[in-house]
Amino acid sequence: MAIRQLRSSKVRLIASLSAVALVATGMVATTASSASAASHTGGTLIYVTNADSFAHADPTRVYTGEDIAFLNTYLFRTLLSYNPTVGQAGFQLKPDLATDTGRVSDGGKTWAFTLKSGIKWQDGSALTCEDEKYGVSRAFATDVLTDGPTYAIQYLNIPKDADGSSSYKGPYKKTGQALFDKAVVCSGNTITFHLNAPIGDFNYFATYPAMSPVKAKADTGDKYDMNPMALGPYKIQTYKSGAEMILVRNPNWSAATDSVRTAYPDQVTMRFSISEDVRDQIFLKDSTPNAVNYDQVMQPANQAAFFNSSASAGRGMNVTGPYTRYYATNVTPGHMDCLDVRKAVFFAINNKALIDLAGGVRFYGKLGDSVINPLAGIDYAPTHGGIHDSNFNIAGNATYAKTVLADAMTTCPDTYARVTDPKKGIAWDVANTATGQKAATLIKSALNAAGIQVNFNFIPSAQYYPTVQNPAKQGDISTAGWGADWANASTVIPPLFIKEGGFNENQNWNWTGKTTADPGIGYDAWHSRVVANMGQTDRAKQSAEWKALAQIVTDEYWAIRPLFSIEQEYWGSKVGGASFWLPQGALLFPALYVK
Amino acid sequence: MFKYVSRRLAYAIFLLFLLSIVVYLIFGLLPIDPARISCGVHCSPATVLGNRHRLGLDVPLYEQWWRFICGIFAGRTYGDGAAQFTCPAPSLGYSFPHNECVTNVIAGAFPFTLSLAIGAFILWMTIGVSFGIIAARFRGTFIDKAATAFVLIGSSLPTFIVGLLVYIAAFLMHWIDPISQGLWVSPFSDPFGFFKNFIFPWITLALAFAAIYTRLTRGNVIETSSEDFIRTARAKGVSERRILIKHNLRTSLAPLVTNAGLDFGGLLGGAIITESIFQLPGLGMISLKAVLHDYDLPLIMGTTLVAATFIILFNLIVDLAYAYLDPRVRIA
Repeated sequence: MAIRQLRSSKVRLIASLSAVALVATGMVATTASSASAASHTGGTLIYVTNADSFAHADPTRVYTGEDIAFLNTYLFRTLLSYNPTVGQAGFQLKPDLATDTGRVSDGGKTWAFTLKSGIKWQDGSALTCEDEKYGVSRAFATDVLTDGPTYAIQYLNIPKDADGSSSYKGPYKKTGQALFDKAVVCSGNTITFHLNAPIGDFNYFATYPAMSPVKAKADTGDKYDMNPMALGPYKIQTYKSGAEMILVRNPNWSAATDSVRTAYPDQVTMRFSISEDVRDQIFLKDSTPNAVNYDQVMQPANQAAFFNSSASAGRGMNVTGPYTRYYATNVTPGHMDCLDVRKAVFFAINNKALIDLAGGVRFYGKLGDSVINPLAGIDYAPTHGGIHDSNFNIAGNATYAKTVLADAMTTCPDTYARVTDPKKGIAWDVANTATGQKAATLIKSALNAAGIQVNFNFIPSAQYYPTVQNPAKQGDISTAGWGADWANASTVIPPLFIKEGGFNENQNWNWTGKTTADPGIGYDAWHSRVVANMGQTDRAKQSAEWKALAQIVTDEYWAIRPLFSIEQEYWGSKVGGASFWLPQGALLFPALYVK
Repeated sequence: MFKYVSRRLAYAIFLLFLLSIVVYLIFGLLPIDPARISCGVHCSPATVLGNRHRLGLDVPLYEQWWRFICGIFAGRTYGDGAAQFTCPAPSLGYSFPHNECVTNVIAGAFPFTLSLAIGAFILWMTIGVSFGIIAARFRGTFIDKAATAFVLIGSSLPTFIVGLLVYIAAFLMHWIDPISQGLWVSPFSDPFGFFKNFIFPWITLALAFAAIYTRLTRGNVIETSSEDFIRTARAKGVSERRILIKHNLRTSLAPLVTNAGLDFGGLLGGAIITESIFQLPGLGMISLKAVLHDYDLPLIMGTTLVAATFIILFNLIVDLAYAYLDPRVRIA
C-alpha cells in the first residue's frame, strides 16, 4: 500500500514512451477493440478494496491515478481522454467531450476546445460550455474543495495575492470572479483558456476530472464528493463509505458521442472496507469470479503464492509501474545539510534487504537512478554517479560510506558531529506500520555499520504525509514517492523540487549550495532553471534540461535510493479483457467485462 | 419513583455534559491538526487556514465546544456562500471524512451495532443461563465438568482469535460471502440474509459472554440452593424441579440482570473487534476509524456520547428492574 499512501500524489504518464516494460507473469492483454461488444455486455463487475471509500469522488478533488482512471471510465467524462488501449498507443490523446485535442494559439498561451453536441447529464439536461467553465472554476475554491490538482490555479492567467494564493477564490465566494471570467471564456460551445505562460502540454491536463464539467445547480460543495452527477455511461445508485458504491447504467449517456467507453457490465460495484486478508483470499481462492482487486497489491506472502500457483494463471499481472519511490533528504541547515553525509547514507543503506522486505525486485521495485521514472519517456535518461558509482553495492558498502563520512568531518564538522552522536543522530521519519518497524531495524543496522547514528520518528500512517510535508515537523529523512502526471517531467521536477511545487520533502529552498562542501548551484539558480524550463516550448530543449536537472538531484543526493515501482493487478476467472492502461498506471477499465 | 427517575435523568445529562468537555479537552491537547491532515498534498498555509475555518477549528476550544452544544438543540450551518449546508437539530456536528452530518453517520451505523448486540445477547443469555443451571443441577458430574471447561475456554480465548477462526472457517466452508458480508440487509425484507450476515458475529461475540454467564449462573444457583428458604421448601416436600424454577432461579437470576443490562448497554456503543473482523460498519468500527485514521472529532464526540448515553440509560433500567425483581430493594 505504499503507493496508496501517496494518495494525492498522482500518477499518470507519459506520451512518447521509449521503454515500456510489461514485466509479465503470464498475463492477458485483450484490447477493447478486439472484443465483441455484444458478447461482453451484461453482468456485474465487482471491484474490491481495503479502503473505506474513494479518497475523493468529486471530479475537482480526485487526484489518485487509479481513481481518475476508474471514475473517468464509468462516471465522468473529460475534455480529452487517453486512448483506451494497451501499449504505447494508450498514450495518445483522444477527444472525449471535445471535438478535437485542443487548438493552441498565442505561442502556447491560449487553448481552445469545442464541446460536442448532444451530450447529456444523467438528469437529461444538455451539457453546456458554462458547465465546463464552472467545473474548472471549482479548483479555485481551495477552502472547500481540498486535495485536487492545482494546475488550473498555476496555469490560468489570473493574478496572485501577496500570500501566493489566487485572487480568484472560486465559485462559492465569487471573489475575483471577473478575473476568472477573463481567463476562461465561453463562446457558444467553445471554451477558451488563457494561460499566464506558454504551456505546450496543457491538453494533457484536460484529461483530468478537475477539468471536467460540473453542473452548477447540482453542486453541493463539500457534499458533492458523495454524489457527483454523471456524464459517463453509469450513474451512482448507492455510495456509502465503508460499504459500497453501486453504479448502474445512465440512460442519458449515448455511445454515439463517446469513442472512449465501452460500458460492458450492466452494473459496477465497488466494495469498500474488505480486510486485506479477506481480499487476498478472494483472489487466491477465486471465490468471487467476477471480482477485480482495486488495491493493486496483495500482502507479500500472498503475492508470491498467487503468482506461483498454476490455479491463478491468467488472473493476474505484474507490471512496471509509473512511480519512483525514494527517501527524501531534508537539506535545511541543521538537518541533512551536508552533501557528504547524504552521500554516506546513500552508500551505507542495504537496499537489497529493504526491497526484499517489501516484496522483492519481482513485486516491489527495482533500483533506479533518477527521480524521473523511465516510463516518463523522453525526459528520462540514466544519470551517472549514484547507483552507477563503482563503490555502490546494493547490499550496502559500509567501508566506502565510512570514507565519505570521514570527509564530512572536515567539510561539515557540525553535521558530522551530530549524525555520529548516539544521543542525536539522524532523525528518520517512518510510518508506524509493521513493515516500517522492520525497515527501521534494517536501516539502523546498515547506518550503524558505517558509523552513522539514527533515531526514528514512528508516525501513524494517516499522519505521515501531513507530518513530513510540514517543514516544522519533518525530520531529516522521510519517505517519498511520485509518478509523472503526464508525459512531461514538468509534472515531476517542479512539484518535488521547488518551494511552490507542493510535494517538496527536501525543503531545498533552504539549500545553501555553492559552498566548498557542496559545489552545487544553490537554490535561486536551481529555481530559475526549473521555472524557465516549465515555459520552454521547444520540447527537445525542455527534455534535455529536465535530464540535466535530474542529474543535479542525483548529484546532491536529494533522493536516496530511487526505486522504480512494480505493480500488480488481480482479477477473478469470470473477468475478461484485463490489461494495463499505461498512461493511467491502472487496469484498462473500459476493456473489462464479465464473461 | 418519578422523583427518582427524574433525578437520575438529570444526573445523566450532567454526566454527558461533563463527558463532552473532557473529550474536547483531550482533543484540544493532542498534537494533531485535523486541518493539516485533511488538507492533502498541495497544502499551502492559506489552504490550512481555510480548512481550519471549514472544520470550525479557527475559534478557541471552548467556543468549539459551545457551538457543538448549541448545535444539539438548534442545528448547525457549515460553509460559506453557495457551499453552505445545514445539519439539522439534534446536530452532533459534521463529519468531513464521511461528507455527512454525524447524526446520519451514526444512524447508518447503529442498525449494525443494535442487530449485533441483540442477537449476541439472546445467544449468550440462552447458552450461559442454560449451561449454568444445568451445571449447578448436576454439580460434580461430567456435565458440570464440561460446563466448567467451556467457561475456561470461552473466557480465556480473546475475541479477536475466536473471530478470526470463525471467519476463516466460515469463509473456507463458503458460508460467508466476503462481498456481501457486512452490507446491511433488513431483517424484515430478507430474514435469511440478515441471519446469514450476523450469525457468525453473534457466535463470536456471544462465546466469551456465554462462558461468563455460565459461571455466574452456576455459582448463583449453587449458592441459593443452600439458603434457608430452599431448605424449607425441600422440607415441605416441594419437588426439586419446582424448587429450582419457582424458588431458586428467581433469586439466582436477579443479580444477572445487573450484568446483562450493563453488558448490553456497553455493546450498544459498538463491539470494535467483532465489527472489524466481520466488516460490520457499526458504531465500534466507525469510532475506531475516526480515532485512528481520520481524527474525526465530531464523529468521535457523537459516538462517545451515544455510547455513554446507552450505558447511563441501561444503568437506570437495571436499577429499576432490580427493584422490581427483588422486593428487598426499594428505590429512595
